[in-house]
Amino acid sequence: MLPNRSRTSVLVFLLPPLLLYCAAVLFPILQSLFLSFFSWNGISDMEFVGLDNYVRMFVADDIFWRAFLNALVYLAICLVLQLGGALVVASLLTSLRRGRELIKTLYLLPAVISTVAIAFLFVRIYSIDPVGLLNQLLHWIGLGSLERPWLSDVNTVLAAVSAPEGWRFTGLYMLIIYAALIAVPKELEEAAVLDGASKWTLFTKIRFPYIRPVWITTTIMATTYGLRGFDIPYLMTNGGPGQSSELLTTYMYKTAFTSTDFGYASTISVFIVIECLVAVGLILFLLKRKAD
Amino acid sequence: MIAQTSPAAPPTIRPPSPVAVRRRRKPSLSRTLSRVLIMLIVIVQVYPLAWLFLTSLRTEQDFASGDPFALPSSLTWENYARAFETGDLGRNILNSFIVTMGANILIVLFGMMAAYALQVLGFRHSRIIRGLFMVGIIVPVQIALVPLFIDYSAVNLLDTYQSMIIPLAGFSLPMSIYLFSSFFEYIPRETYEAASLDGAGPYRIFGLITLPLSVNTVVTVVLVNSIFIWNDFIFANTFVLSEDLKTIPLGLQNYIGAMGKVDWTATFAAVCVTITPLLLVFLVLNKAMIQGLESGANKG
Repeated sequence: MLPNRSRTSVLVFLLPPLLLYCAAVLFPILQSLFLSFFSWNGISDMEFVGLDNYVRMFVADDIFWRAFLNALVYLAICLVLQLGGALVVASLLTSLRRGRELIKTLYLLPAVISTVAIAFLFVRIYSIDPVGLLNQLLHWIGLGSLERPWLSDVNTVLAAVSAPEGWRFTGLYMLIIYAALIAVPKELEEAAVLDGASKWTLFTKIRFPYIRPVWITTTIMATTYGLRGFDIPYLMTNGGPGQSSELLTTYMYKTAFTSTDFGYASTISVFIVIECLVAVGLILFLLKRKAD
Repeated sequence: MIAQTSPAAPPTIRPPSPVAVRRRRKPSLSRTLSRVLIMLIVIVQVYPLAWLFLTSLRTEQDFASGDPFALPSSLTWENYARAFETGDLGRNILNSFIVTMGANILIVLFGMMAAYALQVLGFRHSRIIRGLFMVGIIVPVQIALVPLFIDYSAVNLLDTYQSMIIPLAGFSLPMSIYLFSSFFEYIPRETYEAASLDGAGPYRIFGLITLPLSVNTVVTVVLVNSIFIWNDFIFANTFVLSEDLKTIPLGLQNYIGAMGKVDWTATFAAVCVTITPLLLVFLVLNKAMIQGLESGANKG
């Protein structure tokens, strides 16, 4: 604590940011919680309905459950692509001698591109008429039977809208994990190699335990980002065909701004927040416990 | 960058071990293999972007017929002309610039102020306030859409620059506070104490010591946040209606014509135009940006 500080000075520095934060983040969270107990279309009077919205969500709404399951699949695909891909590339990168900076830059490139541009790009990659990159590639490697309109096939659309999100941010997580990997003390690794440890043992026994704290942070980042995924599915398919690529976020958005059912949309929002908090708690519980 | 004080001891200089020497002489199979693998992955990662650029230079006929992997038979800038005719790209870029600047000013200034209050001035129960700020890192932005839409329409803020800037700044603030706080930790207490003894109050210390020392952290915070703010779609899409205020992501949507018909080559030209500013900044400052992203999580 600074000796000459006064109560006023603390307030002068703290209040403006706190006010902005409350207006943009904290107050809306409370407001959502409040609205979730009402039925309201934004025009007529608000009607208090108690827990009706929650009952409707958990018991009567099939689309909600569909969207919830889709969101979990979306999350799983994103995590595998982002964290798995990041770990593999970061590990490979540490074995390179030259060109590390170049590869880091190239690998991060997709992260600076807007989701609208990415949606446009992937619509073309998946398209069948005119033939897009993916179908052409399958044709060349002799898997022509797999060619399909990836975005209108109900079996593939969810994976197809998840992959771009994974592709987009894997570079970000790779950077973080790479920075952690090169911080692993060389003495530890060398000692293990002298003791005859294989590459795999080296990784599981030395490197991974050492980067575990960073791994926890990245897992939390990737999970919370995955759970708030919205732009790409919304732009590419708007949840369709049917509900086959509907996520909780896109469903909430449509409930709010297409059906103007603000009360029920807030109920779904509250669920999304709780889902994020539970996910973070779960990650901390599972990964921290293993560390002990 | 942010005083990278790694606790590791300074590297001890010693003769190269025999193992290392042997390895250097003949590149092992696994090394070659991992080199090939990494090249493949990088190609998969970057090829779509190269393809995007090539397509923006193709003629329409060339694009509609034939092999998407083929190199363009002839190059044309016509798509760029059509892209500028169809949309108001200049306007969109200007709007994105205004929103990014506005949000960044708030994020940097307020982030620094809050971190100063929490980390340097200190007060009772500051842990609670800090925890409150950290909630914003976990909570998804979608929660704010409905409430803010209602609040904005009550105070006539819908369809303004502020309607985008406020939530973008609010949700980025926690990360900014976190980065500034962890930097302020490294400014030695003695510096402050000496200044205090000379009679400087908290405001002068902020202006004369903390602010000038934080330049590197400011660059990090701005770069990292700009990626997300420049590309924001959801807040702009929810709160902005008029063409005059549309940012780049919304402007790009205008290229989807009636009945979903899209002039693809012109659209890709527009995409190329809109990603250029951020891409240039990224390529010029990529070292700083990469270090910022790395340090952000590795300090946690």
